[in-house]
Amino acid sequence: MLTIEKIDAYYGDLQSLWGISMQVNEGELVALIGPNGAGKTTTLRVISGLLKPGSGNIRFHDHNLGKESAHKIVELGISQVLEGGKIFTGMSVLENLELGAFVGRARKVKDASLKWVYQIFPRLEERKSQRAGTLSGGERQMLAIGRALMSKPRLLLLDEPSFGLAPILVEHMFEMIKEINKQGVTVLLVEQNVRAALELAHRAYVIENGRIAGQGTAKDLVSFESVRSAYLA
Amino acid sequence: MNRRQIALLLLIIAILAALPVVIKSDSTINLAVYVLLYVSLASSWNILGGFSGQTNLGHAAFFGAGTLATRFLWLSGWNLFPSLLAGGLLAVALALLVGIPAFRLRGVYFAIGTLALSQILYITVGNTFSMISSIPAQDLAVYQLAPRYYLFLGVALLTTGTGYVLVNSRLGLGIMAVREEEDAAESLGVSALKHKLLALSVSAFFGGLTGGAFAFYHVGYYPQLPFGIEWTFDSMMMAYIGGVGTIVGPIIGAVFFVILRELLALKLAEMHLIVFGTLFILVVLFLPGGFVGVWEKTRKALARR
Amino acid sequence: MFDALAQNLVYGILVGALYGLAAVGLSLVFGVTKFLNVAHGEFLMFGGYASFWLFTLWKVDPFVSLPAAIVFLLVLGAVFYKLLFGRMVKLTEAEKIQNTLLVGFGLSLILQNLALRFWTADTRSITTFYSGAVFTFAGVRFPIVRLASMGIAFVAVVALQLFLRRTYTGKALRATVENWEAATLMGIDIQRVYLLSFVMGAALAGVAGALVSVGYSIDPTMGMGWTLKSLVVMVLGGLGSITGTFVGGIILGVTESATGYFLSLTYKEVVGLVLFILVLIFRPQGLFGTKEG
Repeated sequence: MLTIEKIDAYYGDLQSLWGISMQVNEGELVALIGPNGAGKTTTLRVISGLLKPGSGNIRFHDHNLGKESAHKIVELGISQVLEGGKIFTGMSVLENLELGAFVGRARKVKDASLKWVYQIFPRLEERKSQRAGTLSGGERQMLAIGRALMSKPRLLLLDEPSFGLAPILVEHMFEMIKEINKQGVTVLLVEQNVRAALELAHRAYVIENGRIAGQGTAKDLVSFESVRSAYLA
Repeated sequence: MNRRQIALLLLIIAILAALPVVIKSDSTINLAVYVLLYVSLASSWNILGGFSGQTNLGHAAFFGAGTLATRFLWLSGWNLFPSLLAGGLLAVALALLVGIPAFRLRGVYFAIGTLALSQILYITVGNTFSMISSIPAQDLAVYQLAPRYYLFLGVALLTTGTGYVLVNSRLGLGIMAVREEEDAAESLGVSALKHKLLALSVSAFFGGLTGGAFAFYHVGYYPQLPFGIEWTFDSMMMAYIGGVGTIVGPIIGAVFFVILRELLALKLAEMHLIVFGTLFILVVLFLPGGFVGVWEKTRKALARR
Repeated sequence: MFDALAQNLVYGILVGALYGLAAVGLSLVFGVTKFLNVAHGEFLMFGGYASFWLFTLWKVDPFVSLPAAIVFLLVLGAVFYKLLFGRMVKLTEAEKIQNTLLVGFGLSLILQNLALRFWTADTRSITTFYSGAVFTFAGVRFPIVRLASMGIAFVAVVALQLFLRRTYTGKALRATVENWEAATLMGIDIQRVYLLSFVMGAALAGVAGALVSVGYSIDPTMGMGWTLKSLVVMVLGGLGSITGTFVGGIILGVTESATGYFLSLTYKEVVGLVLFILVLIFRPQGLFGTKEG
């Protein structure tokens, strides 16, 4: 579904990714793990189009994503949840969700999507008229993910969804992500919580210093991980 | 500067000094006066706007303050040089009055704050001193153009010279460091406020001094005139088109501006402003180095061949 | 004496509505794009001239020709966006503010002088058969034209608010103001949002200008003064608040009138600017500001 080949990425003159190659197949839940500053978020941003790669290839189904603008990539079916959620605090929960369905094809099925999101996150339905700024941290994350789901993505990019959440909420969050994946959404998950990520994922990639340092099924990596637990955990 | 550059500079100064002696045409001398005036204004603006990176939209206030003080004192009987000095100092006082609170705010607030200040002065001066200021008849009888010309020449040389010395000094380094990365500079012990105020003061002083020369030069004018916004705009545009943040840039810009104005004065009035405005926009959008920048790029490109 | 004061205040409110309308246009553009278009006043001036020439040449009533002024400014705004401002979308916020300020100055100079060339420096004004009509209440005169203008300004601002609050596109605009990256990730085309805000801001200025041409007067050099007033009101009313900005306009109008009445006409002209500097120094978020400017 998504093929990334030898991506180099730069922030200005500073190179941050070297020859990243990855693949995500339809229906999978793939994790991207690695230490802080390794380039996990950068990789997501290259996929979603917020950052243009310096060289390399990204293909999504048959589309070449390299040149596309970010909003077009959303239309193609990739939706990213930014680190920290970044919901629109000045608007209501419902408005946030509705904006998630901004794209033409998503707007047509907006009401059905809304029902679906409420089913996964009942809390959001309870708070639908509230200003998003009044939500708690966990609720904001839910809203951010729900909002992304409203665009009916085929591929969902999640950037540290558990960040800053209380442990109980973290577990809940991962359960919901698993549920979303079960319902047919392919997920690429960036996570610092390696243990949880590997429990969820089918496969995973390890990224260090802007390069892919390892990959394999989650089971393979757990043992690989125990060796690296010193600086991955 | 190397030997050749110094020799060239001295040659230029010699030519400029000899001008009134050689050329007897008053209109040419007046033209030269305006070139020198704009050189001073653009260069003084550049010290704050270019070297220090603080877009000052109220330079006319300094220019005008200089004219007010100098004109008033000189016509009251003071000698010329103390009057000029007073003009420069009044401008500095005004600048500090605005600068100290304004520099606490982010960049754009300084810009529009100075714009507002300059407009306030324009309107207030216009309402308070609504009559033309004229040189009294007995002084008019002995009015000579040459001393005015030399005064402007002196001010222009002083302004650009000070700019040059400042830029190449440690203070100048500090000023430019603050321009580039204010926080980083602060963390290295470079006081952003002090350096900005220094640049502001120097810029204002020479703006005021130029104003003083203007007051000495003009036979009759409305006191409101030098506070007009066009003096700020023109100075800023000259600096940008010539090459903002360089020494030579404002000079080139000023010469270009006056020549353009003369050339187009025959055709259509005010066309030169449209052309100049367009050039200014082009520089801001595409050629941030102005003429100097283009020259540097061309030189480098040719050197590679 | 009370009559004279009340009359003055009424005039202040009436003109303040136009200040507010103009400022809302500038505030919309700045809020969404962080462009500080100081040629805003020239857009207003062009709106005024459009209305004036339609009336002078083809006898179109200025209130009837408002839609034409709107269309004219939408097009003009689009042209200048594509030519100039659209190129600055990718800059950092600080660079955007700085560069659009400079480009705006260049543009205002060009537009001003073009207007001077083609339309001369004469002050113009539209006088219709109803221009002298006055509605009197409690001894205070309400010129019909100015009253209608205030009404239109009010309607325009309400329409804008409805657009921003109730329509998908309007919400997309607000989302872009909050967080443009998150907005892009919703599939919102930021370039389109920027363009839309810019031309809408220009159109609002155009409407204000058309209303000024019939209720007051216009001339090619009026632009900078109106830009400054818009800036003053924008800062007074607080960036990020459309309603606050409109109210700020009325406050400026009333303050000017009161100053003119109690002090003198000179101070009336400068009070706005003085207020501006004071607000900048002591309360940069304005009176109703919702976010830091």
